[in-house]
Amino acid sequence: MKATKCVAMILAGGQGSRLGILTSKVAKPAVTFGGKYRIIDFALSNCVHSGISTIGVLTQYKPLELNTYIGNGSTWDLDRNDGGVFVLPPYQKEETGEWYKGTANAIYQNIEFVDQYNPEHVVILSGDHIYKMDYNKMMQYHEEKGAAATIAVIPVPWEEASRFGIMETDGEGTITRFAEKPKEPKSNLASMGVYVFKWSALKEYLIRDEKTPGSENDFGKNIIPAMLDDGQKLTAYGFEGYWKDVGTVQSLWEANMDLLSDPPILDMYDADWRIFSRNPVKPPHYVADGASVTNTCITEGCNIYGDVKNCILSEGVTVGKGSVVEDSILFPGVTIGENTVVKKAIIGSDTTLGNNVVIGDKSVDSKEFESKYCSADISLIGGNITLGDNVKIGVNAMVTKTVEA
Amino acid sequence: MTDAMGIILTRNQDVRMNELTQVRDISALPFAGRYRLIDFVLSNMVNSGIINVGIATHVNYSSLMDHVGSGKPWDLNRKNYGLFMLPPQVRGASLGAAGDVDLLHNVLTYLHRSKQKYVVLTGANIVCNMSYNDAIKFHEEKGADITVIYNEMDLNDPQLKKCTTFDVNTAGKVVGIHHNLSEPVSGNAGMDVYIIERTKLQALIEDAYAKGSHSFINDILRTSMDSLDICAYKYEGFVGRIDSVVSYYDNNMKMLDCAVRNEIFAGKNPVYTKVKDQVPTKYLEGAKVKNSLIADGCIIDGEVENSIIFRGVHIAKGASVKNCIVMQNSVIQERCDLENVVVDKECTLRTGKRLVGQPTYPVILPKRTLI
Repeated sequence: MKATKCVAMILAGGQGSRLGILTSKVAKPAVTFGGKYRIIDFALSNCVHSGISTIGVLTQYKPLELNTYIGNGSTWDLDRNDGGVFVLPPYQKEETGEWYKGTANAIYQNIEFVDQYNPEHVVILSGDHIYKMDYNKMMQYHEEKGAAATIAVIPVPWEEASRFGIMETDGEGTITRFAEKPKEPKSNLASMGVYVFKWSALKEYLIRDEKTPGSENDFGKNIIPAMLDDGQKLTAYGFEGYWKDVGTVQSLWEANMDLLSDPPILDMYDADWRIFSRNPVKPPHYVADGASVTNTCITEGCNIYGDVKNCILSEGVTVGKGSVVEDSILFPGVTIGENTVVKKAIIGSDTTLGNNVVIGDKSVDSKEFESKYCSADISLIGGNITLGDNVKIGVNAMVTKTVEA
Repeated sequence: MTDAMGIILTRNQDVRMNELTQVRDISALPFAGRYRLIDFVLSNMVNSGIINVGIATHVNYSSLMDHVGSGKPWDLNRKNYGLFMLPPQVRGASLGAAGDVDLLHNVLTYLHRSKQKYVVLTGANIVCNMSYNDAIKFHEEKGADITVIYNEMDLNDPQLKKCTTFDVNTAGKVVGIHHNLSEPVSGNAGMDVYIIERTKLQALIEDAYAKGSHSFINDILRTSMDSLDICAYKYEGFVGRIDSVVSYYDNNMKMLDCAVRNEIFAGKNPVYTKVKDQVPTKYLEGAKVKNSLIADGCIIDGEVENSIIFRGVHIAKGASVKNCIVMQNSVIQERCDLENVVVDKECTLRTGKRLVGQPTYPVILPKRTLI
């Protein structure tokens, strides 16, 4: 059969529980980002621009919305005669059938899928990072070095290094040691969760890992250390540019706000590396007389009658007259009434706020809504709920249910 | 499913659009920030359940073909039927005449090959959001041979003079047809939409073509008023006719009216268009925007008032854009001052330029102008 040089496998099965109410109905990769994207758009668009057109998306947690979103892949030009994008949930085998136990196990259970294409290399990606990266350049580096595996790394601030998987390398870029969340990091090169493996090598280690009792079946914890122990050649591929893990409410908020920086830290305007997404069928947005919009991103179908500052507005958002929205991220279809004040909030899809509502006021006591997921004064309002007129919500609050006027 | 097919006739005859239609067919004229005129008629077709649509073109149709592509945005990329581009058949060295009858004669094979009972025959320069199903039902109930769709216009509306108007009796039958009257006697203005049985249309075209006729209205409708049962269906919704620079400008500006915009775009039938994957529009510190429609992919750092801004436009700090239409990817640099201007695609206005037109005579900057 015709060999495909490279197959990409995107790990999209995690819940992302630290995003609180935002991932109560959808998997993290399907969470809205930057006004018109879903987080997984970045990995999928990167693949397509890197010339990788055979992609498996491994789903497990609440996959419905993600499956619908991916559809036949035409959004990313992935409706191909040969290859394309495939959603791969866990499935029943002859004797057993089980959930994906870990990142490595998810790939192990789909060895047959990858084998269909007989690729030389496999790229393993996370579906929950915001970045633009040419995987093809990384693969060339991987081939030049003749490595069994290449791991993309990015320098992180030393004080944060203990939160990441840290690589120690020799002068040639060969990885000498890998430490998952080390207490005393000896390097600040963090793994980005982007791996290129020689498929024949990876397959062998996946099978072996599966037979190892007590293994967590995880790339970082098991597969990489096992390959290092065996003296396999693992290289680090240095990445320069914007990369952000949006695993928490705060990091999701920050990554959205990064789009507002001028000049942008992440250039979304590059016509040669466009991030594809399902486009809404909506007219251009409307800004009324008396409205004020500064330092904000607005998507089609919005109607703005109030003041909007430092915000990301997704499609079909309405901001009523006299309302003030600042430092906030509004998901698709959010409706805000009149004379309402919203500060530093993330509001889920199709939620309605009445008139004279206040969100993010430090003087308001919101003990009942306090949540371990919210920090840095960011408030989180769930999707498809209503906050009635005059409702007041403080900071660091998570509202999951309708609050009557 | 609707047992009808669609034929869209598009050509630049009878329109006075100056530079706007020199580079494109009127059906490909950008409208309302992210659309082309063809989007409205194509969306109306698919929203009515029509899945077999032919577009008969005459000249300058490359923009149109680029825009409609395989028909995917309208779900018309199909195995059964779908979208058919029907460019003119060239006989010898001549492109042939551009009458409706000539264009229709070119598409006879397509009509023969199709199997739907009815044809919705329409132009492409009207902005409205209508379902053809009610009109088809009306056509069936009346047992008509041809049904024309019209809307009522004010007798003083200057655009009425360029319309075909119908005298309609109480039974809904057309008893008189007028074209380009200097003093219109009826406000029943034809919307250039006709419903007719496919086989009947084929026969009428063959007859008219054999006689050397060119005009559907004059040579087919008017001459067969006695022999055919022609009925008229009145459309009550918003109708924007685009046939001149001023009507193009005015109808764009009408989209700033919330009620009109909601009727066209926010109802249950969406208006589909080609997707560009542009990023959301970014407002910077200097942005002051009032009563304007702005599409995705723009960067706004200046003043915008009563304007329609298409995708990917940059308006720099200190620039002022009032009562303007600025099309895709144009750049308005710092301290430019524009009033009543239609800026076509990919224009650049360098720092400090000033251009002022009149609402009744907007200045047009042709595509790719650099000032």
